Parts: sequence; structure tokens; C-alpha cells
Amino acid sequence: MTPEERDAMAGEYVLGTLEAAAAREVERSLASDAALREAVAGWEARLAPLTALAPEEAPPPGLWERIEASLPRADVAPSQQRFERWRFDHWRPNPWKWFALGSSAVAAGLAALLLFRPVPEAPLMTVLLTSRDQPAWLVEAERGGALRLAAVNRQPVPPDRVMQLWALPQGATAPTSLGLIAPEAGQYSVSTTAIRPSPGMLIEITLEPPGGSPTGRPTGQILFIGRLSAASGF
Amino acid sequence: MAADQDLARLLRGVAAGDRGALRRVYEAQSARLFGVANAILRDRDAAADALHDAFLRVGQRAAQYDPARGAAAAWLAGVVRHAALDQARRRGRELPSDDPTLGDAAVAPEALERVSADAEGRRLRECLEELEEKNRSGILLAFVHGLSHSQIAARLSLPIGTVKAWIRRGLLRLRDCMT
Repeated sequence: MTPEERDAMAGEYVLGTLEAAAAREVERSLASDAALREAVAGWEARLAPLTALAPEEAPPPGLWERIEASLPRADVAPSQQRFERWRFDHWRPNPWKWFALGSSAVAAGLAALLLFRPVPEAPLMTVLLTSRDQPAWLVEAERGGALRLAAVNRQPVPPDRVMQLWALPQGATAPTSLGLIAPEAGQYSVSTTAIRPSPGMLIEITLEPPGGSPTGRPTGQILFIGRLSAASGF
Repeated sequence: MAADQDLARLLRGVAAGDRGALRRVYEAQSARLFGVANAILRDRDAAADALHDAFLRVGQRAAQYDPARGAAAAWLAGVVRHAALDQARRRGRELPSDDPTLGDAAVAPEALERVSADAEGRRLRECLEELEEKNRSGILLAFVHGLSHSQIAARLSLPIGTVKAWIRRGLLRLRDCMT
């Protein structure tokens, strides 16, 4: 890459026009490439006055408290930290309790399942549990790719309701809809650019009115819930 | 600027693990930084997520701030912009980009006035004004509103390759003008 090309790429990185893969490539190179670092710093400084074009706006109340709750704490045990990171503002907190209790029980069964299949790229997996800790759906996800669900214990859905699938990346407050699951479906797969499956991501299915949640957020009862983990971690 | 030196001092405190310093950075800068994130995401919930991620990064990376490379306020805005751009990319940039008011604010003369609050801003503004309109709009839409090449192309009704080339040329002219 010529110095001119490198500088143009640094400029595009700072401008924000690079696609995700190219931006990550720049970020990876920053650690080892002093010239690129210099070029990026130059563009950050050159374009910084443009941030004044964005009108000031007060953030929502409670945001600092949310940030503070996510900061690493030296005086809290790691497991407790992890649990606290699951909490977020507009989501009902109760399901986490039973999910936390149920997930370890299911992990043993999941580990047995994994023994019988090759794990080339450590896919992400979880089991969605019912409110009574019964396994209901097996979920497998490629990192950054498709999500596949298989029912292990099909449950009837009221005729005037549909099942809607949601994903909540770690640190996010609002879940993203991954579509509706037909009541009779035993399998469901979704490939979306809206989210990138990653370890720690919560997956849940809620009961919603026909056509799905009218608000874009879960409105009905949480039927099943689970948290993605790297399969190699079991 | 005295305020920026205060901010730089707070960042040194953050780097040393002082959580109170991070809170003071938030209190002093959150309205400005939330505005930066919301201009990119145009969704208050997404902007709040971006500011959340950005402040965690500030907590981790405050030691990387080097006053010799620029103002503390600019460094913070850079962290927030990249956190907001990451959010936008995670959402496939499926954010409203056909808002008719979008971009007009960025190129309106009074908005450009705000840029020239200091010497660097004035220099940038002079150089931006020397660019052709299409190059300038492309750069402003990308920087302020986080539009991708394809979104800018759709907005300006131009082929994506043309937009890429114009923005690149605009950036290099801007650099040469400011040197």
C-alpha cells in the first residue's frame, strides 16, 4: 500500500464510510502499524471540528447509572459481575433468576450432545428454557452469521398469539426482533445483518399479537430464554 | 483552552482508575457526545447504547489519550463516533437515511458557523468551502450522519463507485489544503 493509499484509507476510517470488515481490518492494523496510527490521528484531528455540527442533546436519564453498572469492579466476584451485566433497564428482571438457575442443569445435557458432533469453529449454542426450566429450543449460531433453532419440547401457542424471536447483545438495552416463528414450526432459521451472534447474547421468544409486537420491543410473556455461549467453552 | 485542560486532567484520573473522574467527564460532556451519537444513529435508544459502549471504552483506553495529538474533547468525540458507527454497522445501517431534513442541517451556513469556533475549525471550514459541493456534502453526510458510501450514493442519486472516488478525492484535497 502506498503512503497515499494508506492515508486515504485512514481518512475513510475516520470518516466512517468503511464497511464493517474493512473498519475492523484498520483497527487490527492500528496496534502494529505506527504509520497508520499516525495517519488516523492526523485525520481525527483534522476532522474533529465537524463534531460541532451535531446539535447537543441531553442523554436519557439513568444512562450514567447504566454505564457505572457495566464498569468492571475490583471488589465484586467475577460471577456476580457477569450476573449484574445481564440486568438492563426496560427488560423484566425476573426471568434472569430462573434462567441462571436452569442453565447449569442444561449445560450437562448440551455437553453430551456436543460430544457427538465435530466443532470446527466453536459455534455458539444455548438451550432456551421455559419458565419452569424445561428445555424448549436448541439454538445454534455461527459467529456473525445465521441462527438455527430446533424445538425439543413443542408447546401449544394460543390461537390468537404468535411467537416472536429476539436477540439482545451484551451491553445493549433494547432487543432486536429476529422474526416470527410459525406456531407449528419445529425448526426456524434466520440469517440477519441486524445482529451478530456473539457469546453472551440473550435469545428469547415472547408471545405477541398476530403480526408481531406492535412496538418493536417485546410486549408479551417471555416463553423461552437462553444465553449464547461458545460451544468449546463447555 | 482551560476547559480542555480540565478534561485532559480528568482523563489522566480515569487512566489511573478514578471512577469519579469518569463521572465528571460524563457530566461535562454527555450532552455534546450524545448529540454526536444521535446525529449518526437518529435513534435515542441506539445513541444511548453507543454512549454506554463509548464510556466503557474511555474507561479502558483513557491512558491512550495523548495531549500532544489533539484536544481531549476531540479524542472523546472520536471514541463516541466510532462506538456509534459500530452500532450503525451492527444494525446493517438500517437506519432512516431518507429523512428529508437529514444533511441539510450539516451543510446549512449557520451550522458551518459552529465549526469555526477556533483556529483549526476555521481552517477546516475554509478548506471545505474550496471543495466542490458534491465532495463537501459527501464528507459531511458521512462524518456527521454516519452514512455509508451506498447510502450517500442513494441520497445523491449517483453510482456508488463515483461517490467513493469523490469522497476520497475530497478528503485528499482537504488534507492538502489544511497542510
